[in-house]
Amino acid sequence: MNFEAFLFYFFSVILVGAAVAMITVRNPVHAALFLVLTFFTSAALWIMLEAEFLGIVLVLVYVGAVMVLFLFVVMMLDINLARMREGFIRFLPVGIVVAVAMVSVMTLVIVRHFHMEAPERAGADYNNTEALGQILYTEYVYPFEIAAVILLVAIVAAIALTLRRRPGTKAIDPAQQVRITRKGRVRMVDMKSEDKS
Amino acid sequence: MTFEIPDFMPVIPELFVLGMACAILVIDLFVPQARRDITYGLSQFTLIGAAVLTIALASPETRFTFNDTFIADGLSDLLKVAVYLITAVVFLYSRPYLQDRDIYKGEYYVLGLFGVLGMMIMISSYSFLTLYLGLELLSLSLYAMVAFNRDSARASEAAMKYFILGAIASGMLLYGMSILYGITGSLDIKEVSDYLITSSAGLNVPLVFALSFVIVGLAFKLGAVPFHMWVPDVYHGAPTSVTLFIGTAPKLAGLAIIMRLLVDGLGPLHHDWQGMLTILAVLSLAVGNVVAIAQTNIKRMLAYSTISHVGFILMGILAGTHEGYAAALFYTLVYAIVAAGGFGMIILLSRRGFEAENLDDFRGLNERSPWFAFIMLLIMFSMAGVPPTVGFYAKLAVLQAVVQVDMIWLAIFAVIFSIVGAFYYLRAVKIMYFDKPEDESPLPKALDMNVVLSINGLLVIVLGIFPGLLMSLATGAISW
Amino acid sequence: MENIYLAIVLAPLFGAIVAGLFGRQIGRVGAHTVTILGVAVSFLLSLWVFKAHVFDGAEVYNATVYTWMVSDGIRFEVGFLVDNLTAMMMLVVTFVSLMVHIYTIGYMQDDPGYQRFFAYISLFTFSMLMLVMANNFMQLFFGWEAVGLVSYLLIGFWYKRPTAIYANMKAFIVNRVGDFGFILGIGALLFYAGSLDYWEVFAEAEGMSQATISIIPGTEWSLLTVACILLFIGAMGKSAQVPLHVWLPDSMEGPTPISALIHAATMVTAGIFMVARMSPLFELSTAALSFVLVIGALTAFFMGLIGIVQNDIKRVVAYSTLSQLGYMTVALGASAYAAGVFHLMTHAFFKALLFLAAGSVIIAMHHEQDMRRMGGLRKYMPITYITALIGSLALIGFPGFAGFFSKDGIIEAVSLSTTPGATFAYVLVLAGVFVTAFYSFRMFFLVFHGEERFRNVEHHAHHDAHHADDHGDDHGDDHGHGHHGPVEPKESPWVVTVPLILLAIPSVLAGYVVGPMLFGDFFGDAIFVAEANDVLARLGEGYTGVMGFIVHGMMMPPFWLAMAGLASAWYIYMRKPSIAAAAKARFEWLYKVLDRKYGFDEFNAFVFAGGSVGLGRALWRFGDRLFIDGLLVNGSARAVGFISRYARFSQTGYLYHYAFAMIIGLLVLITVFAF
Repeated sequence: MNFEAFLFYFFSVILVGAAVAMITVRNPVHAALFLVLTFFTSAALWIMLEAEFLGIVLVLVYVGAVMVLFLFVVMMLDINLARMREGFIRFLPVGIVVAVAMVSVMTLVIVRHFHMEAPERAGADYNNTEALGQILYTEYVYPFEIAAVILLVAIVAAIALTLRRRPGTKAIDPAQQVRITRKGRVRMVDMKSEDKS
Repeated sequence: MTFEIPDFMPVIPELFVLGMACAILVIDLFVPQARRDITYGLSQFTLIGAAVLTIALASPETRFTFNDTFIADGLSDLLKVAVYLITAVVFLYSRPYLQDRDIYKGEYYVLGLFGVLGMMIMISSYSFLTLYLGLELLSLSLYAMVAFNRDSARASEAAMKYFILGAIASGMLLYGMSILYGITGSLDIKEVSDYLITSSAGLNVPLVFALSFVIVGLAFKLGAVPFHMWVPDVYHGAPTSVTLFIGTAPKLAGLAIIMRLLVDGLGPLHHDWQGMLTILAVLSLAVGNVVAIAQTNIKRMLAYSTISHVGFILMGILAGTHEGYAAALFYTLVYAIVAAGGFGMIILLSRRGFEAENLDDFRGLNERSPWFAFIMLLIMFSMAGVPPTVGFYAKLAVLQAVVQVDMIWLAIFAVIFSIVGAFYYLRAVKIMYFDKPEDESPLPKALDMNVVLSINGLLVIVLGIFPGLLMSLATGAISW
Repeated sequence: MENIYLAIVLAPLFGAIVAGLFGRQIGRVGAHTVTILGVAVSFLLSLWVFKAHVFDGAEVYNATVYTWMVSDGIRFEVGFLVDNLTAMMMLVVTFVSLMVHIYTIGYMQDDPGYQRFFAYISLFTFSMLMLVMANNFMQLFFGWEAVGLVSYLLIGFWYKRPTAIYANMKAFIVNRVGDFGFILGIGALLFYAGSLDYWEVFAEAEGMSQATISIIPGTEWSLLTVACILLFIGAMGKSAQVPLHVWLPDSMEGPTPISALIHAATMVTAGIFMVARMSPLFELSTAALSFVLVIGALTAFFMGLIGIVQNDIKRVVAYSTLSQLGYMTVALGASAYAAGVFHLMTHAFFKALLFLAAGSVIIAMHHEQDMRRMGGLRKYMPITYITALIGSLALIGFPGFAGFFSKDGIIEAVSLSTTPGATFAYVLVLAGVFVTAFYSFRMFFLVFHGEERFRNVEHHAHHDAHHADDHGDDHGDDHGHGHHGPVEPKESPWVVTVPLILLAIPSVLAGYVVGPMLFGDFFGDAIFVAEANDVLARLGEGYTGVMGFIVHGMMMPPFWLAMAGLASAWYIYMRKPSIAAAAKARFEWLYKVLDRKYGFDEFNAFVFAGGSVGLGRALWRFGDRLFIDGLLVNGSARAVGFISRYARFSQTGYLYHYAFAMIIGLLVLITVFAF
């Protein structure tokens, strides 16, 4: 076993362990952190496969942005853990059976039938980022644009589904506040002094 | 490296829809609620314009662009035009429904147009990547539309289920595609097909392994058993106008990606996917027809009916012959027309504060409006496959295709379950004609809706008497 | 040309649709205007087409107008085949139809179903044109069934009258028997030729006559003979040949205009037309021709005999129609197709004339149809009298009138024919000539000459004397004349007499085209006659022109037989009415047989109707109620309902159940197919 293989198995074991832990731990914050660990290790695996750009993006985007946001959400929402765990034990045996069946079938297929040659290693001067950059806007401009549209739809959907103007809210519109004049707020009323009787 | 500017001519309809959708998104911000019809009109204009462009650019030869990731051929032209027209009808039917429920908003139409764009991309995709992205674009729009009525808990629940299950299915589809990429070294459908023809020896097991995942993803999108569970809940939970959309046009796109992916790309594996689709078709026919009988909610009933129709569509595809594909295409087009009419009727009978969702709401419709009872009768007959409605020819064409490849048992099975299915369609007819109405209120008088719905219903019988019109289109689109 | 053909067919359809669907809106005048216009357009264009084809020698037109569907390589199309035969039929159909349309204005004046009636007869014209212009069997069958449907609707036009309903049911069911044979015949042709197109089928005829088919195991029958006989069974139903003739006399329950149009002039000749059209097939099967010949001869003679004992004026004409249809069939059987079709044409004119004249009499007698209560109408109705005389002379084949040429042609042709059964047929058709003359002039004298018996009829006597299936008082419900005492007959209005006059003209003149029609090349390739069977060609060798034909005819037995019939009718009914009574008493058994119409009705009612009802009841009791209803239908429905109620519980609403089902599905797919 050379050093590369050692690294591969090292990261793989951590990855699988972290993934299992993520769905079994009780604390949602811990689960999120395990997911972060999963991302890190898979980023490491990608880098070993010479996909260093993707590995770095995974860390930057998912770990740096998405997961941090996710942690905020988890911490801000008061999730009832007890209710979420209901049924976990009840369905555990069936789940395990199916999971084992699935894993064994996949293992069987992959071990017995996938005998693919690894592609030639690119040299040290090969720049993954540059290669991606060259084809992303030329050969893959069409999928790239579609992806952009998907993001646009996601934004539209998110806004359409969450932005509410409830009639009863006491939100303040700063523009209106600034534009206010004396006439709109104060009314001079002439009143006669009252009689004392 | 050299870079050639791709040919933009074939994608002009897509660019037009995208541009208009973005423009409408912006314009809608400045349109007051009372003038929302502007957004509606622009959306309809977009669809009609896209139809005009597609027809103008249509030509019998196959056109590729963007490094062969985009294809425009007879199939794509026919399906795209059908998608525009169906969507235009959907938008038209939706308007009174949305107005009555105070959700008449521009986002509905914008999301609908993005969904249309997604379907167009799917229909014209010739690479795993664009196919998948188109599917996601459509799905994302649909998820958002299901949840569109934010005040309805049932709609939110349906959207959540749809979203999560859809994500699982997309994941499986993507996983299957990535294995295929690993084996064949290409995302391009043509290259994958060529690779499989020349050198697939000894790779059967991994290919079928990948194929299984792909099939699951596709079956989910179409709603074939056992990947159908979302269908009743989403159809039931979503606002009827959205159900109308989900139940019609996306089936056309679904058929397109099956044609591209399974027939064009994985054609050499026909023997394997034929078996898989047979299982799905048999289950869909059985579950769809049998469970529909027990439904009292007509939206749920139509959902199960959809599942059984998907079984028929799959039968046409699994035959693996040109006749079979043409029959499946014909069936899907017919299904979209008929389903639009069926959901349109539900919208017609609904009004502010009242959803005509239950079968009982159709009771005695004949006394309230003999004409629309007749239209509903035509639609139900067509779904049941009673001649001379077009549904009969659709079923006949599929059965012929299946018999031609010597799968007579499957044809017999399908006929038996069609008869079972006829029960609940005819029950709806019986309720309309022989029961006393519980609700005597007159039907709403929206002229455009009434006219289009009438045309929609009559189309069912006109195409039934002249099936050659549509059949020649379908056959023409398939014979590449 | 295609547009003209389309216009000919569609103009009546348009009229029918407008009058039928919007009858209430456009009113009576609107309804008859639009339908008459439609048929008139059709007639004028047919005239033009006739001129183009017959005189200007236009090419035979054979083309598909619309492909309805293509199934398994078989094309189902709408198309037209127009040659001289078609052009002639189109002209006859549209002309008689137009006359009947006009006549109807007068005849149906008071009827509440006025618009409906016009819609039906226009629809009939459309269907009949579709039938004669067809270039394929599908359209032929469509026209065939469509005219049958309209006939059914019109026989039962007075749907409140039980006898009318009985009659239309009977017509429909008897025609079903014929149509069953017809469609089997089409099926047999399709089975061999693989096409529905006439010409493509005809091209296969030679091969078909060699092919055999084994219907009963162990026997081999010629496919062509089987197909032709089956087709002819269809013709027997539609053209009322023995034994499928039983519906035609009862069809007189319908209004008289349709008796003239449908049950005398056009629809019933569809069978004759069809056989003539199929001559390339029939010619190759001697067995089929012989069958046709014998059936025709039986019909011609024995149906004429019944006509002698009838008292209802319309029924006499109806039996005469049956007998004349028999003559046409005989001509077909003797391979003298041209003579058959020629007789079809002349018969259409004079029989329509006779029916309309009978109708005119019926109007004058306030819907009285019993000839025993008529008589001496000559001086009250001069136009009707003259035209009826012309019609009768044409019918009996008096030299110079239309019927003479065609009937004489048929009889001569039969005498020369060598088809098996020709001698038998010759004897019967000769005897038939006497019978024809006898009943025709019996009717003529009883109605127009002699004592004015309608004056003696008391209301009560009249009522009691009614035969069960006679027409009579119940007309009152529909016509509202309510007048039963002695009546003063008067001539009918012009809308009635003008068509009579217009029909009388061709009843005299139509015969003078005998030269080109029978012996010339009028039909061209439309009719095919095998060399050995070509009796008309042999007959034509002695043909020296119209006058020669007449002179020759006057020396032949048919003429003298006809004169004898005429004379005996005059003697018996004008001079010595006692002879009739005496003969009736003397030959009571014969009278009874004839009056019972040989017992066909009783036989059918007992054996077929009774048998079917009995069988049906038995099947219903045991098969339907016990087995199918009880076990199969309700049993399986209950089973499905049971399963359904439980299966719906699989839809739990829980997300993880759904996801679980998907995973299981995936697992099953992989394990089943990957290993």
